[in-house]
Amino acid sequence: MTDRETRTESIAAEDRARAGAWRLLARYLSAAPDADGLAFAAALKGDDSPLGRAISAFAAAAAATSPEEADDEYHALFIGVTRGEIVPHGSYYQTGFLNEKPLARLRADMARLGIAGNADEPDPEDHVAALCDMMGGLILGEYDAPPCASVAREFFQAHLDSWIGVFFRDLERAGAARLYAPLGAMGLALVDIERQAFAMSGGGQAVH
Amino acid sequence: MEKESKRRDFLKLTMLGLVTAASSGAAASAQASVAGEKEEPSSGYRETAHVRKYYDLARF
Repeated sequence: MTDRETRTESIAAEDRARAGAWRLLARYLSAAPDADGLAFAAALKGDDSPLGRAISAFAAAAAATSPEEADDEYHALFIGVTRGEIVPHGSYYQTGFLNEKPLARLRADMARLGIAGNADEPDPEDHVAALCDMMGGLILGEYDAPPCASVAREFFQAHLDSWIGVFFRDLERAGAARLYAPLGAMGLALVDIERQAFAMSGGGQAVH
Repeated sequence: MEKESKRRDFLKLTMLGLVTAASSGAAASAQASVAGEKEEPSSGYRETAHVRKYYDLARF
């Protein structure tokens, strides 16, 4: 733990901001926020950049949403009766099916990078919230790999790049999305920044 | 390395608003807590509310 804290302190401010943004997405995509989660979101402030404006819009939406409304919206978007409006899994976005090859590739990379699964039950590792959380962890060097630009870049390009933008656009435009529409916009803005930045470090081409 | 510094400059520019916002008020706790959520397993990833639903869908 001390080792990890030391690592985190040595990480550049812009990388902590990137990890924070990925983890913010993970937090609200993993489950509907309760009253505390909504209050936390309502207090967020963004600047005048596309990312900052999306965060401000998310804060305003959170301030106008009750926990019950958030729960209903989350259910309509991601769970539904037979399925939600959106199926938030990488494998589904890439192949039209769950549990396909992209999930197997992800599991192999998770093992390689030392990202643990959950002990109790097998999990949908390619859920968008899990992937956003892993991006944050890779940027901060929380797993076996040290915090290294190329590790996060390769992971992004192998497991998110081909579909994550489509997912966030679907979320932004989903019929049931009120609170989650600006979260979709935030995801799009973050992905846009990451793509441009990765291309600058010579990682424009997928490594895998 | 020149490429890497170009990338750094770009990120500083684009993420700076968040960094600034984060240093004052609630977003600071956003970054701190988002980076260090207590309930998460240290080397795992976030659990979701979807597990059962996922396996329902996966049967099809």
